Amino acid sequence: MSYDFTLRVAGESGEGVITIGETVGRLAAREGLNLITFRTFPAEIKGGPCMIQLRLSDQKVAYHGEKVDCLVTLNQAALDENIADLREDGVLLCEAECELPAEPSSRTVYQLPFDRLAVREIGSRISKNIVVLGALAHLLKIPKKRIEEFLTERFARKGQAILEHNRKALETGTRVAEAKVSPKNAFRFPKGTDQARMLITGNEAIALGATVAGMRYFFGYPITPASEIMEWLAAHLPKLGGKVLQTEDEISAICGVAGASWAGGRAMTATSGPGVSLMSETIGLLSIAEIPAVIVDSQRGGPSTGMPTKTEQSDLLLAVYGSHGDAPRLVIAPIEECLSMIGLAFDLAEKYQLPAIFLVDQALSARLETVDPAAAKRAPAAARLCADGGGVNNFARYRLGESAVSPAAIPGTPRCEHMVTGMEHDELGNFACDDETHTAMTVKRFRKLAAVESDPLSRGLSSQFGDSNADIGIVTWGSSAGPVEEAVKVAEQQGIAVRAIVPKILNPLPHEELRRFFQSVKKVIVPELNFVGQFASLLRSTYRIPTISLTKIKGVPLEPSEILSVIGETAASLSVRRTSRYGSAR
Amino acid sequence: MEAQDRFCEYLSGVSPVWCPGCGYYGILAALVEAFAELNLPTKELALISGIGCASRLPYFVKTYGFHGIHGRALPIAQGVKTANPDLTVVVVGGDGDGLAIGGGHFPHVARNNVDLTYLLFNNAIYGMTKGQFSPTTSLFSTTKTSPFGLPGDAINPAALAIMYGASYVARGFSVKKEHLRDLIIQGMRHPGFSFIEILTSCSSFNTIDMNVARIIKDQTLVDKDHDTEDRMAALRLASDEKQIHLGVYYQSRRPSLEDKFKEMQRLAQAKRETSLDALVKRYL
Repeated sequence: MSYDFTLRVAGESGEGVITIGETVGRLAAREGLNLITFRTFPAEIKGGPCMIQLRLSDQKVAYHGEKVDCLVTLNQAALDENIADLREDGVLLCEAECELPAEPSSRTVYQLPFDRLAVREIGSRISKNIVVLGALAHLLKIPKKRIEEFLTERFARKGQAILEHNRKALETGTRVAEAKVSPKNAFRFPKGTDQARMLITGNEAIALGATVAGMRYFFGYPITPASEIMEWLAAHLPKLGGKVLQTEDEISAICGVAGASWAGGRAMTATSGPGVSLMSETIGLLSIAEIPAVIVDSQRGGPSTGMPTKTEQSDLLLAVYGSHGDAPRLVIAPIEECLSMIGLAFDLAEKYQLPAIFLVDQALSARLETVDPAAAKRAPAAARLCADGGGVNNFARYRLGESAVSPAAIPGTPRCEHMVTGMEHDELGNFACDDETHTAMTVKRFRKLAAVESDPLSRGLSSQFGDSNADIGIVTWGSSAGPVEEAVKVAEQQGIAVRAIVPKILNPLPHEELRRFFQSVKKVIVPELNFVGQFASLLRSTYRIPTISLTKIKGVPLEPSEILSVIGETAASLSVRRTSRYGSAR
Repeated sequence: MEAQDRFCEYLSGVSPVWCPGCGYYGILAALVEAFAELNLPTKELALISGIGCASRLPYFVKTYGFHGIHGRALPIAQGVKTANPDLTVVVVGGDGDGLAIGGGHFPHVARNNVDLTYLLFNNAIYGMTKGQFSPTTSLFSTTKTSPFGLPGDAINPAALAIMYGASYVARGFSVKKEHLRDLIIQGMRHPGFSFIEILTSCSSFNTIDMNVARIIKDQTLVDKDHDTEDRMAALRLASDEKQIHLGVYYQSRRPSLEDKFKEMQRLAQAKRETSLDALVKRYL
C-alpha cells in the first residue's frame, strides 16, 4: 500500500511552527519520500497566525492536500482556525490548555502541556517547538536518532549548550507522548531508501538553478514574494565569483541585466508584477536589440500594490504581450522543478537571443517541495551564437539570413565593433526607419519564436495526465497544475474520465500538442488564478475554441474540490445533451 | 603613430544627424581626440547612450555601441561594467535624458562609483522633440511647452554630481575643444565615476540659455589654487551664479563598484559552502 500522509502544524508566528514542519519534511526527504508543502504568512512583520502543511508520499505528489491526517496546534486560535480541516478519523495533537470544540467528533485527541513542559523542565518557552517535535517523533514513528542528527547539524553552530537544550526538549516531548499516545494511533514513517531528495523552496530552487545554469550577474530590487531569490544570491553567488547588485528600482535592475548580458554574461533579475510593469519598456528593448535575459516574475495578487503576500496568476498577458510594439519574448511557466526549468530558460534565451520571462507565483515561490538532486546537475544545453572575431570590419550584427538567429559579438571581440539599438535598424545596427527594413527585421525577430517551437529543447515541455480517451479536457498552467492533477485523479475514481495538458512554455505555445489535445476532447476547462481568465482568453484567440473558464482570486491556490465541481457540471452537460437528443426532459 | 593620425580610426563612417551649427560636433571631436590620445583599442571601448540628439553619438564612432532607451544609459552601463570590468565605458546623453527621465539613476550610479565616464551634454532644451523645456532651462523661459513661463527652477548638473558622490566632477564647454578633450582624458583616466557637464548650444531651439557669446564672456578657468579634494569648495565653484568656471571641480579616490564586488567575493569565499556541490548539499 502506498504511503500518503498529510500533516499540518499551526500556531503563532515566532513559536517555531515552521521549524517543526521543516524538520519533519527534511527527514522525510532524506528517506526518499516525495513531499509538497503549503504555508501561510501573517501580514504582520512579527506575530500573527501561521501554519505549514506537508503532504508526504512514496508516490509523486502534485498537491498539498485538502484534509489533513494529523493536526498539531500550539494555541487556541490555531486550534479554532484549523480544526475543520482535520479528517474525521484524524489525530489532533494540541496544547493542553486549549478548549476543544463542543460538538462530538470521532477524531483522536491528545492534549499535551507543551508550554508547561518547556518552561518547567527545559527552562525556556523557546524550546516548546522542540518538545512538540519530540512528541511528533513518537506519533509519526520517526527514529529519534534521525531527528537528533538533524538538529545537531542544524544548530551545531549555536554551540553545545543549545544542542544539549534541544536534546533534552526532544526527549521530554517523546517521553510525554509515549505515556499518552496509544500505539494504534501512531503513523508509519516509511523506512528509508538511499535516494535522498532535496527539500527546497521555489525561490531557493530558482536561485540555485540559475547559479547552476551559469548565471553570474544578478540585479534586483526587493519585492514580495521574490526577494528571497536576491537574498540567496547575495549570500552565495559571490562565492562563485558572481556579482549581485541591489539597484535603485526595477528599471535599473533590468537595464543592468541588459548591459551585463550584452557584455557577455548570463544575467538575471527577479521581481513580481509591479516590477515587470516597470520593466516592460526594457523588455521591448531586449527584444528588438536581441539581447538574452531571464526575468523571474513571482506573481502576487491584484493590480498596483494589490495583495503583496497572496498568490495569483494574473500576469500572464503582461508576460506575453507587455510592452509597446511587436516585441517577441519567451514565457516559461514551470509547474514544479524550478531548479531545472530556470536552466532551460537561460538556454532558450541565450540560443535565441530573446528575453525570457520565468513565470511563477507566490505559492510556488514559497512552497517547500522535494526535488530530484539530479536537477542540480543540469549542464547548460545551449549557448549564444557569437562571432569569433575572425571576420573583417562592418560586422552585421542583425544579418538577415536563413536562420533567424544572427551571430552576436561580445564587446572585446576584434573587428566586430557595432551598434546594438532599440531603434529599428539595418543589418549593421544603424538606425533605419523605412518600411522594408522594419518589416524584414520584425519578421526576423518573430521567426525566432517559430524556431523555438521546433527546437528539441522545448519539445515535451507539456505535462499530460488523465484518460487520453476522455471527452472532458483541462488546460491549465503554472502552480494550478497540482490541484488539477489531484482533481483528475479523484474524478477518475468517481467514474468521470478527464484528460489534462499543462504547457510549461506559454510563449510560444506548443501548438502541435495543444491542437491535438483540442481535437481529442469535446469540452475544455481552463482553471487559473485570475479574474478574467487570461489563459482561456489566450487559448480562445489563438485556437478559436470555446472554453469553460474557471477562475479564482482569493489569494490562495485552487482546491481540487473546486475543479471537481466544474468537472461534474461539464460531465452533466455532456450527458444532458446526449439524452436530450432522444427527447428526454431534464 | 601620432594621436592625430589615429583620429580617423575611431570614426564609424556614419554621418552625424545633427543640425548645422550644433555644439555636439565639437564634443564629438573632443571625445574622439581623447580616444586617440589615450590610444584605446576600439574593441575595448563601449559607448552607451539613452535617447535624444546627444544619444545618437555612438553611431558615429567606431566602438561597441549601445543605443538604449530614454534615461537608462547609466544603469545599462553599470551592467556592462559589472560583467566586463576590462571595458572602457563612456556614457553620453543630454540634460533631459540624464536629469529628467533618468534623474533617478544618476545618484545611484554615482554613489556606486562605477568606473565609467559620463558626459552630459547640457544644451538646456529638448532638441530632438523640437523645443520643449528641459530640467536645465532657466533663461529661455518661453518654450513650446512653457508658453507662459517655466514651472520650476533649473537644475545644476555639476553641483548635483558633487553631492551625489561622483568622484570626478568637471565642467567643459563644447566651443573650447582642447580644454574639453583634456577634461575627458582626465576623467577617463580617473578610476571611478567621472562626470563632465558640457555646456553646449542648440542652434535650432535654444540660443538663449546656452548663448555662446555670453558663455565666452562669463567663463573663466577654475583657479589653479582650487583644492579639488575640497568638496564644499567644489560645490561653491559649481554653483557660482556670477561666473561659469570651466575645469575640474572635484576629484577624490575611493573604492569603485568593482573594488566592492571583489571585496564581497573575498568575504563570501571565507564563509562555508563555497562550492556549487556544497550549496546543493544544504538541501539534502
